[in-house]
Amino acid sequence: MKKFYLWLVVAAATHAVVLCAAVFFQIWNAAKNVKPKIVSVTLVSLPAPVGGTQEVSDGEGGAEESPVRVLATPAPSPAVEKTVQQPAAKKPQQQPQQPLSPKIVVEKSPASQPANNQLQKALDRIKQNVDQKTSPPQPSSVSTLNSALAKLQQKVQSAGTGNGGASGSSSVGGGGGKGSGTGGPSKSYKAAVASIIQQNWEFSGILLKNSGGMAVYVRINILPDGTISQIIFDRKAVSEYLNNSVKKAIQKSSPLPVLPKEEGSRDVWIGFEFSPEGLEK
Amino acid sequence: MFDTKIGVFGLISDAGPVVLFVLSVLLSFSIVSWAIIAFKFSYLRKSLKESRVFLDFFFDVYNVEKVFTESERYKHGSLPKIFRSGYIEYQALDDRGNIRQAKARISRAIKREANTENKNLSTLVPFLATVGNTAPFIGLFGTVWGIMTSFHTISLTQSASLAAVAPGISEALIATAAGLAAAIPAVIGYNYFTQQITIIERDIEEFSPEFVAALLNEP
Repeated sequence: MKKFYLWLVVAAATHAVVLCAAVFFQIWNAAKNVKPKIVSVTLVSLPAPVGGTQEVSDGEGGAEESPVRVLATPAPSPAVEKTVQQPAAKKPQQQPQQPLSPKIVVEKSPASQPANNQLQKALDRIKQNVDQKTSPPQPSSVSTLNSALAKLQQKVQSAGTGNGGASGSSSVGGGGGKGSGTGGPSKSYKAAVASIIQQNWEFSGILLKNSGGMAVYVRINILPDGTISQIIFDRKAVSEYLNNSVKKAIQKSSPLPVLPKEEGSRDVWIGFEFSPEGLEK
Repeated sequence: MFDTKIGVFGLISDAGPVVLFVLSVLLSFSIVSWAIIAFKFSYLRKSLKESRVFLDFFFDVYNVEKVFTESERYKHGSLPKIFRSGYIEYQALDDRGNIRQAKARISRAIKREANTENKNLSTLVPFLATVGNTAPFIGLFGTVWGIMTSFHTISLTQSASLAAVAPGISEALIATAAGLAAAIPAVIGYNYFTQQITIIERDIEEFSPEFVAALLNEP
């Protein structure tokens, strides 16, 4: 029987060794097949960034003026109308070069001259309004007014240069005062990122019995080249299906559009909230 | 970037207490089974080998004294043990002229030793049969319990997606896999040892009368 106990110890030791080997093998296998830190999904064709990217703003001089002016025209040509409608449709798989096409069309159209006049008229009206409000003109207030007008002109011009179709429409809608292209490039970038992720989000609320109280808070780290380098779940939903769908949507959205130049060469963090209610809206 | 699954052991760490208990029982079954398999394998192999060598010597040499001296070398063989018991009984006889009484006493001694040897050979082997029969059911119990818990969790999370259902079922099925892993070697070992023991028993049955005859016909 002494020999049997010896074999018992040997068997226990062998089991321990086999289990340890299996654990180490799995860890080693997991380490070998670990996914890279940077995910680059080349199959996703990205839509153009709403806020206008560097490629757009670096366009030729003639192309810079046309979008804003033409969009502000009260009676635009059919080609111009198309340019206004395109961003509103928000097609999921827009080509990055598409926002440039309206510019070319508008630039060559005869409506560009009235657009310039219209802008000039708008500036004159603003100037007149300011003059009326400041009836006793003083030297200091005149200089302030001039500088304000110069700023306003710069804003209008930069709105024309920096924006694609989408932001151009918004700036015109706000009477040239909103200036989404210059006022908040990071906000517009966030909006673009959100729309891309939402388009890639495949989720059916039918599978959830009760969608109330289910929200996922996620932070993503975006590198300057637009790649998503990290996903952090600040708060997960109780439904693993929802969590997985969010994760897949973000993975599918990588790489995102290149970060705006205002952000510099450093990476940025953007937070999102995903909820079934939001999807059903 | 993205979280990775740790694998089967990650699932075990997430398992409930009942599944963990089942797994520990199956692990202990497996350890004991393998110990029995190793112990019995070495014991039966030695017994068969020594019996074979002893039988060769027994049929070559007709001197019972020499055969007994040779049998002292084989500590594990069943046939040498039985022969020794017969020889000791023969030496203990007061009246060797009474052949009938001597035969009866030697036969009785040999039979007693054969019984003891059969018991020794069969010791611990039934445990293998028990493991082979019960381990899959114990594993199945763990699986059923795990799936039960899994469905309860699904009802709490209110999601019927595959991503929500699969981990629980996968975790529960580990118990069945462990049960089969414990049962399969036990069943194989049991069948093998049963066959080997049957061979030895047949040898004992066959050669016991030969031993008695050899002792009584000693010159």
